[in-house]
Amino acid sequence: MAPLLEVKDMTHYFGGLRAVNNFNLSIEPGQICGLIGPNGAGKTTIFNLISGVYTPTEGEIELGGHNIKGVEIHHIASMGLGRTFQNLLLWRHMNVIDHIRMAHYSQLNYTLFGAFFGTPKCRQEEKLVKENSEKLLEVFDIKQFAYNLAGNLPYGAQRRVEMARAMATNPKILFLDEPTAGMTPDELMRMIEIIRQVHRDFGVAIFLIEHRMRFVMELCQYIQTLVFGEVIAEGPPEEIQNNPKVIEAYLGKEDVH
Amino acid sequence: MDKIKNFFRMFSVVPLAGWLFGSFVAVLLEYYLGDAISYYLYLPKIPVLFGTLIMLKEPMLIPSVLAYDLIIYALPILLLGKMLAPIANTIAARLDRMPLWVATLVHLVAFYGILHLWAGINDYRVLVVKLTMVSIILTISLNIINGYQGEFSCSHPGFMALGAYTASALTLLLFTDDKMFGEALLPAAMGPWLFPLILVAGGAVAAIGSLAVAIPSFRTRGDYLAIISLAFMFIVKSAVENLEILGGPRGLSSQPDYASLPVVFIWVALCVWIIHNFTTSIMGKALNAVRDSEAAAHSMTVNTRKTKVTAFMFGAFWAGVAGGLFAHVLRYVNPSTFGIQKLAEVLAMVYFGGLNSIYGSIVGAVSISVLGEALRPLELFKWIIIPLILILVMIFRPHGLISFTELNVKEIMRPRDKKPSEGVE
Amino acid sequence: MEYFLQNLINALQWGSFYAVISIGYSMVYGVLMLFNFAHGDIFMVGTYIGFGIASLLLALCSAFLPGWMIFVLTVVITMFLASFVGVFVEVVGYRPLRGAPRASAAITGLMIGIIFETGNLIILGAQRFSFPPLMESISYNIGGVYFTNVKVLIIVVSLVLMLALHTFIQKSKWGMAMRAMSYDFLAVPLMGVSINIIAPLTFAIGAGLASVAGILYGQAYPVLDPYMGILLGWKAFVAAILGGRGSIMGAALAGYLLGFIEIFVAMVFPSTFRDLIAYSIILVILTFRPRGFFGMAHSTRLRL
Repeated sequence: MAPLLEVKDMTHYFGGLRAVNNFNLSIEPGQICGLIGPNGAGKTTIFNLISGVYTPTEGEIELGGHNIKGVEIHHIASMGLGRTFQNLLLWRHMNVIDHIRMAHYSQLNYTLFGAFFGTPKCRQEEKLVKENSEKLLEVFDIKQFAYNLAGNLPYGAQRRVEMARAMATNPKILFLDEPTAGMTPDELMRMIEIIRQVHRDFGVAIFLIEHRMRFVMELCQYIQTLVFGEVIAEGPPEEIQNNPKVIEAYLGKEDVH
Repeated sequence: MDKIKNFFRMFSVVPLAGWLFGSFVAVLLEYYLGDAISYYLYLPKIPVLFGTLIMLKEPMLIPSVLAYDLIIYALPILLLGKMLAPIANTIAARLDRMPLWVATLVHLVAFYGILHLWAGINDYRVLVVKLTMVSIILTISLNIINGYQGEFSCSHPGFMALGAYTASALTLLLFTDDKMFGEALLPAAMGPWLFPLILVAGGAVAAIGSLAVAIPSFRTRGDYLAIISLAFMFIVKSAVENLEILGGPRGLSSQPDYASLPVVFIWVALCVWIIHNFTTSIMGKALNAVRDSEAAAHSMTVNTRKTKVTAFMFGAFWAGVAGGLFAHVLRYVNPSTFGIQKLAEVLAMVYFGGLNSIYGSIVGAVSISVLGEALRPLELFKWIIIPLILILVMIFRPHGLISFTELNVKEIMRPRDKKPSEGVE
Repeated sequence: MEYFLQNLINALQWGSFYAVISIGYSMVYGVLMLFNFAHGDIFMVGTYIGFGIASLLLALCSAFLPGWMIFVLTVVITMFLASFVGVFVEVVGYRPLRGAPRASAAITGLMIGIIFETGNLIILGAQRFSFPPLMESISYNIGGVYFTNVKVLIIVVSLVLMLALHTFIQKSKWGMAMRAMSYDFLAVPLMGVSINIIAPLTFAIGAGLASVAGILYGQAYPVLDPYMGILLGWKAFVAAILGGRGSIMGAALAGYLLGFIEIFVAMVFPSTFRDLIAYSIILVILTFRPRGFFGMAHSTRLRL
C-alpha cells in the first residue's frame, strides 16, 4: 500500500537556528503513529511544517501522492489533513455545533450567491451539514452541549469539541497535538476510548504528539522520539520503551561511578 | 416594583400581529383626529416626533404632549393590543403554520402600511424615517466588517461616498438635464425602474474600492489596518473634492426623487434579509471563525483570504447602496459629509447597538438616529449627551447593547398564548 | 534653491507639530496598546489652556517680566495643567475599560474627543480666539531665505522636548517601566509597578507635550478653532502608526516626513491635492511595510 503521508529529509531553519534536522516519516492509511520527546524538541514545529503553517527549508512532503510542500494551509486541510492544537484554538463566540458545521467549509457546494439569497441548494447543503454535525456530536459525546458557547464547556469537553471539529473536515489523517494535556486520569481513559473509536469508525490515520508515555504506548503502532529537532529513536512501542537513548532524553543519563 | 412587572406581564400575551394592529389603529386615529386633538390640547400642531421636540422647546406643553401621546399612541396600542390578543394570536398561529416567507411578508407589509400612514402626516417625518432606514443599512454594513469580521475599519464613509457619487452621477447623467452632465440620455420614465440597478452599480464601485483596504488586510494586523482604512477614507474624500466633474467641494445636487419611502423600505428589508441569510450560513460564520482564531479557521479548510475579501466587499457594497439612497433622499451630496464626523456617527451606531448582530445594528441605528433628531432642540448639548450615553454603554457593555444575538424572525412573530415549541435555534 | 530651502524650513516647522503630537499617540499606543482617539482634542484643549494662561500672564505680568520669561512660564504652567487633562481622560475614559476589548476603548476615546469639542463650543461660544504673540516676530533673511524667529523656536523647542522625553524614557525609573510595558504588558505590574501610575503618567506626558505643541502652533497660526484637534490630530495619529508600534523616535520621524510630504506636495501640486497625495503615499508605505518604520515584530489586533 502506498503511504498516505510521506515526509522525506525535512529540515527547517528559523533564521540561523536549525529547528528540525532530516526528519523522515511514512504513515500508511489507518496507521497510528506517535511523536514524543522533551519540551522544546520541535514536535509542534513538525506538525506546523507538514500542515502548512511553515514551508520547510528543505525536504519533500506528500499527502496521498500529491505534493503539499508550500501549499496553502486550508488547501492541505481540504486534501485530508485534520489537526487539533496544543492550546485549544476554539472560537470564543461560537457555539459547539457551529464549530462542527464550520469545519465543513471546503465541502460546501453552494456559491456566495446561494448564501446571500438562501437558495434551495444552499439550504439543502446546510441541512446535510447540520445532520452530519449532529452525528459527530453524538460520536464525541458532546451533543448535550450543542448550543452552548464552546468556551463555557468543561475542559475535557472542549478537547472533544476540538477533535470533533477536526474530524468534520473529513480527514484521511488526523494530527493530534497533545490531546490529553491538562486532563485527569478519567478523562484520559475516555480520550483513549474516543480515539480508538474514531480510528475504528472512520478509519483515519493518526499522528499524535504526546507527553504521557502510557497514552502513547496504548495507542501507537509506531513511535518516533524527537530531541533537539532530530529523531534519536524510532520503532514500535516495546522497542522505544526500553531504548536507553529515549530513557536518557527523558530522565537523564545514569551516573555510573 | 412588582406592580410594574405585573403590568408588563399582562401584555406578554400579545403577539407582534396584535401590536401591529393596535399601531395601525393609532396611526389612523392620528390621521383623522390628530389635528383636532392637538388643537384641543393647545398644541400648535401635531407633534412630529412623539412630542419630544415640543417638550424640549416648550416645557410648558409637556402635559399636553403626554396627553396626546396617551390618547393617540399609548391607549389605542395597549388597549387594543390586549383586548384583541386572542384574535391576534389566532392570526399569528395561522401565519406561524405557513411558510416563513409568507408570514414575514404579511407582517412586513402591515408594518410598512403603518409606517407610511404615520410618516404621511408630515414631510419631516418622511425625511426622518428615510434617513433612519438608510442608517440601518449603513450600520449593518459596518457591522459586517467591524463586528462579524472583527476588523477596525474606518473606511466606511469612503465606501458610502463612492456609492453616493456613482449613483448620483448615473442618475444625473442618464435621467436629468443638468449643468453638470448635460442632457438626459434616457427617457425620465425609465428612471425609477433602473434605479435599483444604479444603486447596485454604486455598491459595486464601493466594493471594488474596498479592495484597497482588503488586500493590505492580508499582511497587516488589525491596528495598522485601521490606519490604512483611515487613509482610504481621506483619499476618497479628497479625491472627490478635487474632481470638478463631480462638483468638487460644492458637490452634486438635484438628483431625481427616486428614493421614495417604499423604495427605501424595500431596500432595508432586502438588506436585512440578505445579510441575515449570509451570516447564518456556514460561509457567513467563516467571518467569525477567521476573527476569533485565524489559525484554527485556516486549518479547518477555511480560505481566510477569500473570507476577508468577501467581508470587506460585501460590507462596502451595502455602504455604497446606503450612500446612493442617501444621496437621493437628500437630493444633494457633498464631500464634507463623508469625513470624520460621519465616521464617528456610524461607529457610534454600530457599537451602541451591538457588534455581530443585525438586531443590534437595527436598534443602534434607530436609537441614535431618532435620538439625534429628538435632541435637536438642545443643539450643541446633543453632542454631549449622545457621546456620554455611548461611553456609558461602552463601560457596561463593551460589545454594545445587543451583541452576538441573531435575528430570529419566527420567534418575533409567534403567537404568545401558548408555551413556545422546543428546539429554538 | 532658496525656494527649496524656504520650504525646507517650513516643512521642519510644520512637521514639528505633527512630530510632537504624534509622540503622545505613540506613547499611549506603545505602552498601553491603546489608540487614544481623544489625543487630538487633548491637543486642542491644551492649546486653549495655553491661550488662557498666556493672556492672563500678559495682562498681569507684562509690565515687570521680560517676554521670554512669560513664554517660559506659559509653557510650564500649561504643561502642568494639561497633564491633568490627560490624567482625567485616562481615569474617566480608559480605566473603566481596561478589561474591555480595545475597539471599545477606542470608541470611548472618540466620544471623549467629541465631548471636548462640543464643550469648547458651548463654554466659549463660536467666537474665534486669537493666541497672543508671546514674542516679537523678527524676520531673518539669510541668502534669500526668509524665516522668522518663531519658526526657529518651534523647531528648536520641539527637538528639545523630544530629546528630553528620550532621556526620560531611557534613563529614568518610570521611563524604564514604560519601556518594559511596551514589550510585555503584564509583566510590569507583576514586578510591582502599578499600572495605575504608569497609565496616567503616560497620558500626562502626552498631554503636556501636545499642549506645548499647541502654544507653538498658536504662535505660528494664531486663530484658534475648537476643531483644530481634528485637523492635526488625525494626521499625527497616522504618523504615530507609521513610525511603528513602540517607537517614539519613529513617530517623530514619521511626523516630520508627513510635514515634508505636505509642504513639498504643495510646492508642486495645487493645495487641494495635499491630503490626497499625502494619504496615498502613506497607504503605499503601509501596504509594503506593514510594520511601520521601526515597529516591533509582534503586533496585536484590536481584538473583540
